[in-house]
Amino acid sequence: MAFDAKWEDYQRMALRFAFSLKDMEPLAAAKEFVSFGRRYAQERDSLPQTDAERAFHLVAEATTLVDYQLPFATDEEAETIIPRAHRLLDEALTLDPRCYDAARMAVAANCPTFESYYDYLCEMEPEVRAYCEEARNAALLDVSGERAVEVANIALHPHLRWLAALASKALICGRNREALRFCKDALELDPADTADTRFTAALAYAKLEDEQGLDQLESRCRKLPHPYGTNDAWMLLSRLALAHKRRNLPLARQVLARIAELYPNAALTLARQKELPDGVFARLAMPPFSEDELIVAASEATVLTQEGRDSLGRGAFGSWLLQECLSIATREQLEEIREEIDLTALSSRREDDQGNKEGWR
Amino acid sequence: MNARAELIERVALRRREQLGPLSDGAYQELFNDVKGDVERFVETPAEEALLLVARALDRHEEARKDEDLMDDEAFFSSRAKRMSRLGRDCGAALAIDPTCFDAALLAVLAKDQDPDWILEPLLKLEQRAISTLAAGPLPADAWDDLTLRPLLRIKAAVARTCLDSARYRMAAEKAEEVMALAPTDALGMRHTCALALARLEDESAFDALDVRFSRQGSAWEHLARTILLYKLGRMGAARRALGGYARLCEGGAYALLKPVMVDTYLPDRPEAPALSFAEATLAVHEADPIVCDVPDFVAWAQNQRDCFFAAQDFARRNNYDW
Repeated sequence: MAFDAKWEDYQRMALRFAFSLKDMEPLAAAKEFVSFGRRYAQERDSLPQTDAERAFHLVAEATTLVDYQLPFATDEEAETIIPRAHRLLDEALTLDPRCYDAARMAVAANCPTFESYYDYLCEMEPEVRAYCEEARNAALLDVSGERAVEVANIALHPHLRWLAALASKALICGRNREALRFCKDALELDPADTADTRFTAALAYAKLEDEQGLDQLESRCRKLPHPYGTNDAWMLLSRLALAHKRRNLPLARQVLARIAELYPNAALTLARQKELPDGVFARLAMPPFSEDELIVAASEATVLTQEGRDSLGRGAFGSWLLQECLSIATREQLEEIREEIDLTALSSRREDDQGNKEGWR
Repeated sequence: MNARAELIERVALRRREQLGPLSDGAYQELFNDVKGDVERFVETPAEEALLLVARALDRHEEARKDEDLMDDEAFFSSRAKRMSRLGRDCGAALAIDPTCFDAALLAVLAKDQDPDWILEPLLKLEQRAISTLAAGPLPADAWDDLTLRPLLRIKAAVARTCLDSARYRMAAEKAEEVMALAPTDALGMRHTCALALARLEDESAFDALDVRFSRQGSAWEHLARTILLYKLGRMGAARRALGGYARLCEGGAYALLKPVMVDTYLPDRPEAPALSFAEATLAVHEADPIVCDVPDFVAWAQNQRDCFFAAQDFARRNNYDW
């Protein structure tokens, strides 16, 4: 699922267009609607729209720049991307001062610490909630039929994204119970969990070593109509971390094997444990069970992998995971890992361990 | 661990057993004789091994003395040398008495490996120690039985190693185990437990622990409470807890804002006067993995007036860097 800004822009425009046809004869309206796709792509300005839709469109453009281009840009490219994105967000806020996505994204870039961004999100949350709920209620009154539900749902999206951002920042700030509170809020508002806050919740339960909480989350997720079942990368990485924490290494290896079955190139991704900048609009939308999705999940799971004292600087679980990945990697993957990661510290440690075992015999 | 003091007590107790019933005064005299020259009284392999451990620890402490003035490279080379020497010395003690569990514990720790790697050998050692030392009925407080102390020290090392390898539930459980075996908690497992519970954001268990030890207060407890409240987002209460920590622990604020390296505990936490700067230094060191997990915690603490000025004042009074 995840939030796709471009798709949401399209949906918002389509709903607005449909709303403008509401007084037409059904047949004439259907005929008119046929032209929507072409006009959306080619003559956007000819379509009916309010400043809110115009602002959201700019948000979608800024999202493409910041979330999807910036992470892969050279320093030189970044120098043009960043001011462009800022201009788009500023313009969005001029058009619609209540465009909370734009506000959040603009502030995210200017906060010097995790904590200051988190404080801002906390402080503004009631205002965003009130505004979005009002917009949803208005939609349910103004629009009729099944479209009303769609409009009402979209009206809540900025608040859901706000809560998802809060949860993920709380997790990064080491406030795991707070993270769970925001996930719970989001799940109550939107039981279908469009914002995928259950992913963040899984990591928070693992941080709190709350196996029961994780079980309950899992049974709740079972009812959701999404492709994962309970086998998403976040849930599996949380189970893996818990098994490692409990020193149930056979179980940990089983879970790792399951991840490797489900996600291509898992050995490589989990050996790297690369920390990427979080999506500023929302968690990056990646195809379920794709290599990229695991990369995103592994990046978020660095709150688990990097904990504990460890001479490799990866954290206790992170170093163990790297080691395990070496044993499940294919020859090609091993070569890639060796090229990227200095394994000398790991292998010297291994020899030590060998000595250790012999000493004990 | 004061190996020499334990050796003296063990030897004196064995002598008393051999001599038959003694008055308190006579035992005191015997004790003083042993204390005057314990090596002369050492007889059994267990005592000999413990004597080697005491010597090894003395030698190790001696080797550390000159390290303060060394640069990093010289320090780490000296450290590696004294650690491997300690390992060898403990090996010699084990050759005399394979059940000298203090020597075995030190030998594991002296390998100087990451916590995730030494946990397994420590757990195995714990199992061996349980089956060797704790087969019979246990006294109400295991600390009172000198022969059980090595087991308690191993368990304490397991608890700390769990904490250091990010296994907080296990750390709290193991610490609880030690406290159940030895309720006077001479090894200060309540401190390890408090840190683990703060990291797990388990406020009710944290409070229950505090009440159980009559809210005695320590650098660990004050610091852990601050971290706990900060994590729970109760910032007013967290500020007050930080203020309490800074006020009640001599140099606590300075220890938090200017952390220093603390060497591996061999085999257990060094002694420090209650609420002293030394205690705060140990508490900050032990809390480090938990503090790192709350990335803006130290910056927040530095921005609190009470804490900042307490640290600055402490540095000025003691001529420390600021």
